[in-house]
Amino acid sequence: MTVRRAHSIPLLWQIGIIAGLLAIWQWAALIHPAPYLPRVENIVAGYVRLWHGALLWSAIVPSMYRLGVAFLIAVLLGSTFGITLGSLRGLDPWVRPVLEYLRFIPAVAILPASLLLFGATDKMRIFVIAFGSTFPVLLAAIDGARRVEPMLIDVARVIRLTIAQRLVRVVLPAALPSIFAGIRIALSIALVMMVISELIAADDGLGFYILRNQRLFLTENVYAGVLAIGTIGLALTLALLTFEKRVLAWHHGWRGLVDPKGV
Amino acid sequence: METAQPILQVDHVSKVFAPQLTPVLKGLTFKQEPGQFVAVVGPSGCGKTTLLRCIAALAQPDEGAVLHRGQQFDDPPPWLSIVFQDYTRSLFPWLSVRKNVAFGLRDLTKNDRDERVQAALCAVNLEHAADLYPWQLSGGMQQRCALARAIVVQPKLLLLDEPFASVDAQTRIDLQDMVMDICQTMSLSTLLVTHDIDEAVFMADKVVVLSARPTHVVEEIAIDLPRPRDQLATKETPEFLHLRHRVYTLVRQQAQKAAGGNVTEKV
Repeated sequence: MTVRRAHSIPLLWQIGIIAGLLAIWQWAALIHPAPYLPRVENIVAGYVRLWHGALLWSAIVPSMYRLGVAFLIAVLLGSTFGITLGSLRGLDPWVRPVLEYLRFIPAVAILPASLLLFGATDKMRIFVIAFGSTFPVLLAAIDGARRVEPMLIDVARVIRLTIAQRLVRVVLPAALPSIFAGIRIALSIALVMMVISELIAADDGLGFYILRNQRLFLTENVYAGVLAIGTIGLALTLALLTFEKRVLAWHHGWRGLVDPKGV
Repeated sequence: METAQPILQVDHVSKVFAPQLTPVLKGLTFKQEPGQFVAVVGPSGCGKTTLLRCIAALAQPDEGAVLHRGQQFDDPPPWLSIVFQDYTRSLFPWLSVRKNVAFGLRDLTKNDRDERVQAALCAVNLEHAADLYPWQLSGGMQQRCALARAIVVQPKLLLLDEPFASVDAQTRIDLQDMVMDICQTMSLSTLLVTHDIDEAVFMADKVVVLSARPTHVVEEIAIDLPRPRDQLATKETPEFLHLRHRVYTLVRQQAQKAAGGNVTEKV
């Protein structure tokens, strides 16, 4: 009984706060009708329109495609290079300065250059998204690989694993908790870069949809697009957390014993 | 049957970590015959772990050589296995007990592998915990898991780096019996590094006593106590007590020398 109450009371609060915010919005829109303050029902209608029919294919799908491909590239590149660089200390002095420099370049800053390089193509957008989101994964993977228990490496050496096998079978799993932390950060950066890349010279995608409706003064669609991005971010984060929970089940159990206060 | 070549020969091994420090090992020499159980004891901080890493070819000596069956190795030889002291750090926390044990097996069909893993788990009495994760086990069970992983590859030489140091007294006694039993059934050559003199004398055929730093061999003492050995009966015999007394005296002399002499760095 008490358990159920403990769960349901915060949920009620959360729903209540959301409803309250919407009510305030609606009230403001009603007493003060203005183009930039559309009514809630119009925003909701715009939001629903986005998720089916032509708009799904011209706004949501292109954005998701770019985000998906670029994010995958970022995760693969970041973890592969990160684990290699983190384990092979000899490489560090060669690569580190370049990395430390590149990581401080905001991905937005390379947008014009990549527009010149790739033209107004999907490639350009994927490049920009991947550029921004590779670094958190890369740095987290380097860090994770460095902190692998040396004794586990000794165990792998006694079993005569090759360096490549050691990286895949020992360093990668050991660095995975750290890599996932990097991936979570990368996801939010990827979302930002997705929108920004679609604000420039685009003819589809959510960013373009928002920009276009802003120019047409269809403000309810602008807000609907913003809400859709929020939805995508939330859904991807939840999916990531679920996946992480499964893959890293061992880590939570292990950490739970090592450090009773949890992560 | 091969000629009686030593399974392990440590030949004037020296190791220095930094030129300005006392060498860790200096001209350390001893050998181990096939099937022999050798225990290495010495005062604390004398570089036992460094020696073990050199023997396992995880580190290379600065001078001298470590020969496995007359050969020098840059990487651990295929017939060598190690059980490390710290089981909480030497087991893979993301693998179940079964997978930890199977980790060392490659180039085998799935059936062969499963059989070998099962046999190793039986030998250490851990079949019931095969699907648990290491961190769900007690210390003694974790160390048995590490032991199973070491013997599953059917090694010829088993290195034990203070394997019983972090478990409680009762578990330690059980593990000692288990290890002796396994080494005998598998006719393994075993090298036990330990700071526990009772344990060394009780388990080994030969005890190698090390000096304080720079570490060399002070004396090799043959332990000719009959096998099988029993925790109570063997430890009450006058021979055991005599040998224990001798080893203890030697180690204590070295420890006093270390305390009075130059300051040793803990590595």
